[in-house]
Amino acid sequence: MKFSWKPFILTLLVVLIVFPFAYMVLLSMASEWRFPDVLPNYFGLRNWTQIFSSETGLISSFVLSIVISLSVAFTSTLSGFLISRSVSYHPRKRLFTLLTYFPYILAPVVFAACLSYFFLMTGLFGSATGVIVAQFMIAFPYALIFFSSFWNERIRQYEELTATLGGNRRQTFLKVLLPLAKGMLLICFFQTFLISWFEYGLTSIIGVGKVQTLTIKVFLFIKEANFYYGALSCCLLIFPPVLLLYINKRYVFNKLI
Amino acid sequence: MFLEVKNIVKSFHNEAVVRDLNFSLDAHKTLSILGKSGCGKTTMLKIVAGLENADAGTISLGGKNIDNVKPGKRNVVYLYQEDLLFPHLNIFENIAFGLRIKKFPEKEIVEKVNAMVESLELNGQETKMPHQLSGGQRQRVSFGRAIITSPSLLLLDEPFGSLDAGTRQRMQEFFKSLTAKYQITSLFVTHDLKEAILMGDEIAFMQSGRLKVYKDKTDFINDPVTGVQNEIGFWENLIPGKVERETLRK
Repeated sequence: MKFSWKPFILTLLVVLIVFPFAYMVLLSMASEWRFPDVLPNYFGLRNWTQIFSSETGLISSFVLSIVISLSVAFTSTLSGFLISRSVSYHPRKRLFTLLTYFPYILAPVVFAACLSYFFLMTGLFGSATGVIVAQFMIAFPYALIFFSSFWNERIRQYEELTATLGGNRRQTFLKVLLPLAKGMLLICFFQTFLISWFEYGLTSIIGVGKVQTLTIKVFLFIKEANFYYGALSCCLLIFPPVLLLYINKRYVFNKLI
Repeated sequence: MFLEVKNIVKSFHNEAVVRDLNFSLDAHKTLSILGKSGCGKTTMLKIVAGLENADAGTISLGGKNIDNVKPGKRNVVYLYQEDLLFPHLNIFENIAFGLRIKKFPEKEIVEKVNAMVESLELNGQETKMPHQLSGGQRQRVSFGRAIITSPSLLLLDEPFGSLDAGTRQRMQEFFKSLTAKYQITSLFVTHDLKEAILMGDEIAFMQSGRLKVYKDKTDFINDPVTGVQNEIGFWENLIPGKVERETLRK
């Protein structure tokens, strides 16, 4: 039988991909692990039970991150869907589409620094609302670009057909456009949630340390050289996207393919 | 006259697309309109449907001026070349769509849809999704969805353009029987010469935004601009003497 390296290479690749995540989970359950010890002095769920203590602030950061990301994902997906229609059907579509790329010309940190004066003047500096607004300014253009492919000639024909069948704009939106765009809406919601969830630069500048999302918390723990809590907060950071990825795969991607 | 279109003019970016459009149509009749791509047929239909605004002119339907009536209130249904069935609704719900948005009682919807399914010869297909039907069946559902709302006027923009020759012929016959049964008034736009002659009670030819309505089919056939004479000439060259007699007989 011919010897094949393929299974070994595949196994190696899987191990390389899975190892950092598995190691992170192990690290989140360890403490007092010092060189040259092969195993940690403590291995158990103590760190995880600490999540609920107010001292670490992890649970409050987790809830705050969820609230911020859901708000950003919901508002940017919905407004992106509605406004992309106007942009796509506008005679100056190309100009408006070009403008939507503007926030991505600058790095988020530079973009936030440029806008910080306006946030200060409007009293949004250092507040969760300010962070939501700042992250929206990044997620919204993404949603606009994402939905621009949806508004094509066929969708316009669906709209016109519904109008001649007696439908008003609200009925067209609720009974035709939303069901037709369901898959894209869910994917966009997922993507904008991720943009917000992992956002660091904008959040750290506009939040000025007062708005401690989970991503900010991870960096704080790492700066403090607290690897165990850093690994723990990374696990928490990964959990919602994994859940959303599962929902998307189970209910959206499979139906789209 | 049931439908009266007077002096309609439409331009896009200073380019005249529809020029001085005038025609009228009796109730329960079909006017077939022949024209090449880009001659202004679709724009004309969209103006009648209220989906485009005319630069000048008036349209009256059933004796009422509908110039300022919104598309949803005109009771004029526009059908495209594509069947445009809603992919998220099954066949029953696709046909019921117009009745649901007009908020008909549920009992009446069920009765009307079942009767329409019968007329469309689609019994047993009600729970299927659009992608499970053939092209001809989908087009029938599309007609049913429009006709069930009892439109005053049906506008058909090359409805059989995407079908193969055999299905197209069956659909032409089916459409004729359906319009007779439900007493539909319609404008039937096509670029197929034979289809234009077959489908219309009256016939018109559109070229460069101008519409010419013929007194009868013989008048249409004898006009060299319609291309019928070229067609007869082509076939006569193949089978001398036979074609002209048969075409005129039809």
